[in-house]
Amino acid sequence: MSHATGHILVVGAGIGGMRTAMDLAETGHAVTLVEHAPHVGGLLASLDHQFPTNHCGMCRMLPRLDRDQSVQACLRKGLTHERIHIRTDTDIMAIDGDTGNLTVTLRQKSGYVDARRCMGCGACADVCPVDIPDPFNAGLSTRKAIHSPLPHAWPALYQIDGTACTRCGECRTVCPTNAIVLPAGEKSHFRVLVVDDEAIVRESIRDWLREEEGFHVDVADSGPAGLSLLTNAPYHLMLLDIKMPGMDGVDVLRQASTLSPDTQVIMMTAFATVETAVEAMKIGAMDYLIKPFEPDALIPKVMQVYDRVAAMTDQTIQVQAVILNAGTTLYDPSSGKNNLGYQTHPGVVTSLEFERIISNSGPFAGKLVRPKDDRPVQRLAWLQCVGSRDFQSDGDFCSSVCCMISIKEAVLAREKYGPNLDAAIYYMDMRTYDKSFQRYRDAAERDHGIRFVRGRVHTMIIDPETQDLVIRYADRSGDMQESIVDMAVLAIGQRPARAMPKLADMCHLPLNSWGFAETQPFSLTRTAKPGIFLGGSFTGLKDIRETVILSSAAGLNASRALQSGVTKPVTDALPAPRTRDVSRELPAIRILICTCHQALQIDTDLLSRRLRPCPSLLGIDIVTAICTPEGSEAIGRILNASDFNRLLVAACPQEMHSGIRRDLAQMTGLDRNLIDCVDIHTPIFRKGLTEHPDIHAEMAHILDMGIHRLAGANPLASELTPIHHHALVVGGGVAGMTAALALADHGVPVDLVEKNATLGGNLCWIQETLQGDKIPPFRAELEQKISKHPNITLYTQTTVAGFSGQTGGFVTTLEGPEKKVTTSRHGAVILATGGMETPVQGYGYGQSPAILTQKELEEQIATHALNIGDPGSVVMIQCAGTREEPRNYCSRVCCATSLKQAMMLKSQNPELAVYILYRDMMTYGFTEHLYTRARKAGVVFIAYDPEAKPTVMVDGNDVRVRVMEPVLNRVLEIQADRVILAAGMIPSPNTDICGIFGIKPDPDGFYQEADIKWRPVESTREGVFVCGIGLSPGTISESIATAEAAAQKALALLFRPEILRSRTTARVRHSLCSLCQLCISACPYGARQMESDLNRIVIDPLMCQGCGACAAICPNDAAVMDEWLPQHMFGVIDAALA
Amino acid sequence: MEPFEPTIVAFVCNWCTYTAADLAGTSRLSYPKNIRLIRVMCTGMVDPQYVIKALLEGADAVLVSGCHPGDCHYINGNYKARRRIRLLKEILPRFGFEPERLRLTWIGASDGIQFAEIMRDLTSQIRAIGPSQTRQTMII
Repeated sequence: MSHATGHILVVGAGIGGMRTAMDLAETGHAVTLVEHAPHVGGLLASLDHQFPTNHCGMCRMLPRLDRDQSVQACLRKGLTHERIHIRTDTDIMAIDGDTGNLTVTLRQKSGYVDARRCMGCGACADVCPVDIPDPFNAGLSTRKAIHSPLPHAWPALYQIDGTACTRCGECRTVCPTNAIVLPAGEKSHFRVLVVDDEAIVRESIRDWLREEEGFHVDVADSGPAGLSLLTNAPYHLMLLDIKMPGMDGVDVLRQASTLSPDTQVIMMTAFATVETAVEAMKIGAMDYLIKPFEPDALIPKVMQVYDRVAAMTDQTIQVQAVILNAGTTLYDPSSGKNNLGYQTHPGVVTSLEFERIISNSGPFAGKLVRPKDDRPVQRLAWLQCVGSRDFQSDGDFCSSVCCMISIKEAVLAREKYGPNLDAAIYYMDMRTYDKSFQRYRDAAERDHGIRFVRGRVHTMIIDPETQDLVIRYADRSGDMQESIVDMAVLAIGQRPARAMPKLADMCHLPLNSWGFAETQPFSLTRTAKPGIFLGGSFTGLKDIRETVILSSAAGLNASRALQSGVTKPVTDALPAPRTRDVSRELPAIRILICTCHQALQIDTDLLSRRLRPCPSLLGIDIVTAICTPEGSEAIGRILNASDFNRLLVAACPQEMHSGIRRDLAQMTGLDRNLIDCVDIHTPIFRKGLTEHPDIHAEMAHILDMGIHRLAGANPLASELTPIHHHALVVGGGVAGMTAALALADHGVPVDLVEKNATLGGNLCWIQETLQGDKIPPFRAELEQKISKHPNITLYTQTTVAGFSGQTGGFVTTLEGPEKKVTTSRHGAVILATGGMETPVQGYGYGQSPAILTQKELEEQIATHALNIGDPGSVVMIQCAGTREEPRNYCSRVCCATSLKQAMMLKSQNPELAVYILYRDMMTYGFTEHLYTRARKAGVVFIAYDPEAKPTVMVDGNDVRVRVMEPVLNRVLEIQADRVILAAGMIPSPNTDICGIFGIKPDPDGFYQEADIKWRPVESTREGVFVCGIGLSPGTISESIATAEAAAQKALALLFRPEILRSRTTARVRHSLCSLCQLCISACPYGARQMESDLNRIVIDPLMCQGCGACAAICPNDAAVMDEWLPQHMFGVIDAALA
Repeated sequence: MEPFEPTIVAFVCNWCTYTAADLAGTSRLSYPKNIRLIRVMCTGMVDPQYVIKALLEGADAVLVSGCHPGDCHYINGNYKARRRIRLLKEILPRFGFEPERLRLTWIGASDGIQFAEIMRDLTSQIRAIGPSQTRQTMII
């Protein structure tokens, strides 16, 4: 029943790449996530706040079903998932092959710090003499050559910027764990180890390599001595004698290859043992030398290794599909013809820099000052469209997100620095086109006092006396205006990702005029090249919501490509863990302490005495380096020897976030619940306590708390929730059909329910897309696929009458023609109930056949029923039903539709006069180009204010439109042969649907998502997903993307027969429960219900997210959360206060 | 006589304040050592019992700190904490605790500096109030 899974490569680990990777990992695929930067998170790693909450919320992207697969912690610190292999600092060098069989060459930069040894203590940065601009703070502050790329990253690994490092070696002297391998650009940092029992050989090699060549050389006289040196510090090269007393060279090689796999080994052999040397090469030696040898024989071989280390190393991996999710870059204003004072005037910053300036973790610790002269800021201006909608900088496109970023920044500034701050946004059109944007903008103006000024700033000068910035712009009537501010924020637009040309070349992707990759018609993620998909912002800048949707959709399409039989199906690699039942045993805890290559000196007796007496504690074991193969061997020995049933690992934060818990669970047969990790290294290294007498007291504190938490861990093996492998899709429009096909292609049986007699929804009346792709054949193809698909059962003239049950096992009642009722079980539900054109009121609609809606015009064009007099005139009125209360949202498609229809009419009759009366032209992204084309074609655009809307006067056959023309500053009266009303969209009435499925609508009747930014296709109920126009207005390809994203989310639920209960999930102790039901109202997820048949409270384990609200509110301690039982919390509190 | 060093128990939420505490650590900001962090999943799970228990067991103050309003990972747990702490502050004087010994703050994930500042500020405030008397004598 499980679909085929494989290995998929995701390029780019911004939020888009993370979303794609997590989705694929959640549906059983193995993922390699490659990122050019040294950290994950992309642009969002530097941004603390996102609208509409003005906070973060990235953590809401984490998997919700099998939560223990990933570390439950702030995602900005990093992503850890069992099935995602993350490779930062890595570039793609080549991609060859097709779907199912792609070979990808990766090149990883060296950070020159051994990640397994670095503790993130920062001692190295304290002594580093090099200061360079810090990209994390957009270059506004400096950092050292050795640095932690992201201050909040977890683990906080340091790395060396090889281009800035002077190789002074200071950092190496202070590193407590010998983690630093300086850039091998200088020979003295190339470390060679010579292991030979003959002193003369050792000494002469040392002299040749050290004195003559300048390498760093250490010598050892025996195998064990060599291995011990190798344990203490890494080496690039080992010269190893084969014949040594005690341990011979081959044994040393074997151990060295697990101890330090990166060390290259050259064997040294006498002529008689050449065969052994050849054997040694089979187990990992790179070469051999026959003794005796001269420097001329040795040095070229050493140089060969040296050169290879100095260069970067390439590696190839085999994958079945590739998703390019490498984001975009931002425009650099100093590169343009008009730099608007950027980098020349103090106080001119980019939007990204502004965000860093106001950040509490930013260069000024959150103080609002001008970066160059530290002057406080009182008057702020945001300048829109810098590098976008601009021919001078070759940017005839809209960057889609800058309007909202500027509004958010203005609101944040006013919230943070008070109402005396003057904040104004200078704009051409405020593109508030997506869900919730318009209300956010209105609130910014109304509640936060942000001033919106229409006009494009063209000149920025600096007043030499006051150092104030003077901005000049033309207002709506064309008059020049001047304004004085302290700081100007440039809302910089998008440019293609830096890697775009290279990746496009490798994958043969077509690029548009501005260098962004293009996708196939009717898809925002599929490309012409099989096996290559595009996600997130790679095809043009998107806000978080759209990035998340497109990334999920890209993942779905990649996964779907694997189902076609091109590749051999890989059965699911998530075996149900087999665990030992310890539920009837008393807690017996062993502690494993990692000393990180003996950087910590721990006296176990002293430590035991410091710990609070605890009957559950069996003992403490010390491991030198838990992360090395040697460490795991040691653990194996310890674990075999004792009869514990809980394990506490005290190590570094890396271990808390690596798969060690899973590995130990496998080794010990214990449930994951019974293995816990505590971080002892951070407090001890960061506080500089390594040599301090308090080290044991500090550690005892941490261990005590860990022991108490672990003693309280639930010993029962994790329960499994069965999942019914069957989906329900409601709605047979384009979104519903897409979602049904997406699931069915993954082998999921789907019931597709449509209330009308035919499929198609809005596709039935639209003729072509903005790009000119014809709709009728597309619709016919979809319908045919649906009818022929063996996994899809179609129910037309059917509605959903009832819905109950728990996530994964819903019970649905369908009502068909003639009230025929059927009941079936579904694991997941996708709602795609669609929407329709807003019914128009006013504007003379209905009084004259010359007044039409966009839909009616489309139909008349299609049937050639339109007959406009020659020369003729058409007036199009935008926002004729939306963008004001009670429907205060933008419908996204109407502006572009008007442009499309205007161009259609113009192509039939170039003499036709077309007037478009608009509030803000919402031609986001590359549709801006259509706007430019329409202006060039002579379409007249007149902006109107909502306070002075156009009026339509009908007098028999004479229709006139009156509108205030802002440039002429007088009222125009246009005689119109046709008036076209852009009415926008409303969702199909779905109050019933919401009631039946127990989900919430938003204020406008669209489905409310679980989180508008981070979980945009999930409803407020787990297992019910939403897409299409019922979710939010959008174009056909946007609706398709939401449907694909919803299907991807549903697959995460459906792809396996059962789901493991996560560690932190609530339980009910029925014997203590008084059925007061306080917990039901406290649960933010609706996971608790009163089951009247059983007369008890039941929990939907997949809905519960483990917040513990129920446990806190329960008066009887009947609602509890495993791991957080009150008695154990009391123990932890006692330990904390001991 | 040695100056009084208060012991403070801080219940911090897994998502925001714990992250901020870690950021304060990685940024190596100095804050008083006598703060004992207890990580909880959400401030909404901090049972009043835990606060009272900590105060009775010898904490001179208790801090509860989570995500900013509107930012809770669990949608609304911090609002629940806010209501609960407000009620607790009403009750505490009856047990002989000054309400200042309980504090609720919002510290976001990137607010490492704020975390250190609040810890310093709370410590100096409690230092001024003096040691909790109730751990010796409970007044009811």
